[in-house]
Amino acid sequence: MKKIVVGGQMDKQEIAILARKIAGDRATVEIKSDIDAAMAIRTGAADIYLGACSTGGGGALALAIAILGLGSCCTVSMPGSIKSDEEIKKEVEAGKKAFGFTAQDIGKVVPIILSYAL
Amino acid sequence: MVIQYITIALMGALASVLSNTGVAVFNDGFRPILPEYLEGRMDRKALAATSFAISFGLVIGFGIPVSLTSTIILIHSILLGTDIIGTFCGKGKKGMIIAGGLGALYGVGLVAGLQFIVDLFSKLPINFLGSLGQVSTPITIAFAIFPAVAVALEYGLKKGILTAGVTLLIRQIVTVFGSFPMGEYTISLNKDGMALLAGMVFLVVYAVRDKEGAGTTNEQLVAVFSEKVSRIRKNIPYLAVMGGLVACATSLSIVAGDPISLGLAANGELGNAAMTALARAIGFIPLIATTAITTGVYGPVGMTFVFVIGFLVRNPIIALILGAGIIVLEVLLLTYIAKLLDKFPGVRKCGDNIRTAMSRVLEIALLIGGMMAAQAIAPGFGLFVIIGMYLLNKFAKKPIVELAIGPIGAIAVGILVNILHIIGLYPV
Repeated sequence: MKKIVVGGQMDKQEIAILARKIAGDRATVEIKSDIDAAMAIRTGAADIYLGACSTGGGGALALAIAILGLGSCCTVSMPGSIKSDEEIKKEVEAGKKAFGFTAQDIGKVVPIILSYAL
Repeated sequence: MVIQYITIALMGALASVLSNTGVAVFNDGFRPILPEYLEGRMDRKALAATSFAISFGLVIGFGIPVSLTSTIILIHSILLGTDIIGTFCGKGKKGMIIAGGLGALYGVGLVAGLQFIVDLFSKLPINFLGSLGQVSTPITIAFAIFPAVAVALEYGLKKGILTAGVTLLIRQIVTVFGSFPMGEYTISLNKDGMALLAGMVFLVVYAVRDKEGAGTTNEQLVAVFSEKVSRIRKNIPYLAVMGGLVACATSLSIVAGDPISLGLAANGELGNAAMTALARAIGFIPLIATTAITTGVYGPVGMTFVFVIGFLVRNPIIALILGAGIIVLEVLLLTYIAKLLDKFPGVRKCGDNIRTAMSRVLEIALLIGGMMAAQAIAPGFGLFVIIGMYLLNKFAKKPIVELAIGPIGAIAVGILVNILHIIGLYPV
């Protein structure tokens, strides 16, 4: 079973509820502070980091980038642009572990990310 | 006007130079990328491309639209731009000078451009500038509800309702009993400000009592990244001047740090703007402190307390000095603040929830404000356009930020009725 951690800055509860619904018994979902969530990925205690903020790359991923490096992180959506289904698939296949998006796009991108990452 | 142009030019110039030299950048997500470049894992070109990618959309999609409804500029419009300018100019002295020049031009250009648009609008046959101000009307009342929303997010609906109830009760009590005669003068308390204060007291008390998840995460961070902290300390003089300039510009009503206090300040409610900015600053401490400690790069507005100073202090020179002072204090206390956050895990969560709650309040308040403005500009027609835009936007490949639909929609309605007027389809 995989482990999903919700970091980032905004709407953590909403992300966690949605992720739990999608993952069912395929993964556990835990809300953490952004540092703790990123550390959990780094130490291998968790597999997928989801985070939102108003820009998709600021508070959502800032600590994940600092702790995991840019190579493990991907901004899936930012104001005015969302990555396509195909692009998200490529990011997951490229081994990205931390995904950031704007709070506005949670409902659109979380199902797609998890459909490939789980 | 001259002093405003000078301030904004200095601000743009210094912010670009700070970004150029990797001392401070505004975008919280860009801060962790800078060490990749500073430590040689990324080249300058890639750095510039990244900064453009993560900041440009925000300037166009968030900063400018929110700024258009009043003459105050949302700080994002300026400092995300200078983030980009700084990284695009090469390194060394030459790059630094070019960055400074372009930054100054950019700042002046923004103020002049905004003024130009406002002047242009006022020349249209149907003048809608007056009505446009209504966009921020709901914010000036609804902002006091955000502590209750933040409480509900973390501690459940019951406590949220309790907080909201007390907030509303205080507002009503102050409305009725909030004026006292004092000799010749009458002192009247601001009902919305007092209501916000009541909500914040609830939020802070809940947050401080919440000890779940206390640990030593930040203490470890501080130990691991001590070199980075000393890099920030070395740059204190530049950071202080930068913060001072932002406080000065806020005091001169050129800029504001977030859409809520911008709306309040545009309506002349400076005390409430200061209080909102203070609450937001508390929410930002954890993010700014941790990104600064892990990257060695600070933010040009620090933990955003400079805006509080700017709203409170009407004398721009004193605002400049106090703003600089507060940045010095922030940087000197950086590691202490981070360690303190370990002891109050509820406060860190509180920060995240304040941001979520504020954006929820803004979403609905700006949407309704947009509708009110649109309805005032063109009854019936206006509501149709805004509701239509809001719903159709959800299908867009590149959707407009939901926060911006109200303001952009109201402006669109104003322009549309003018076009229709010219072709004879909207007689007045």
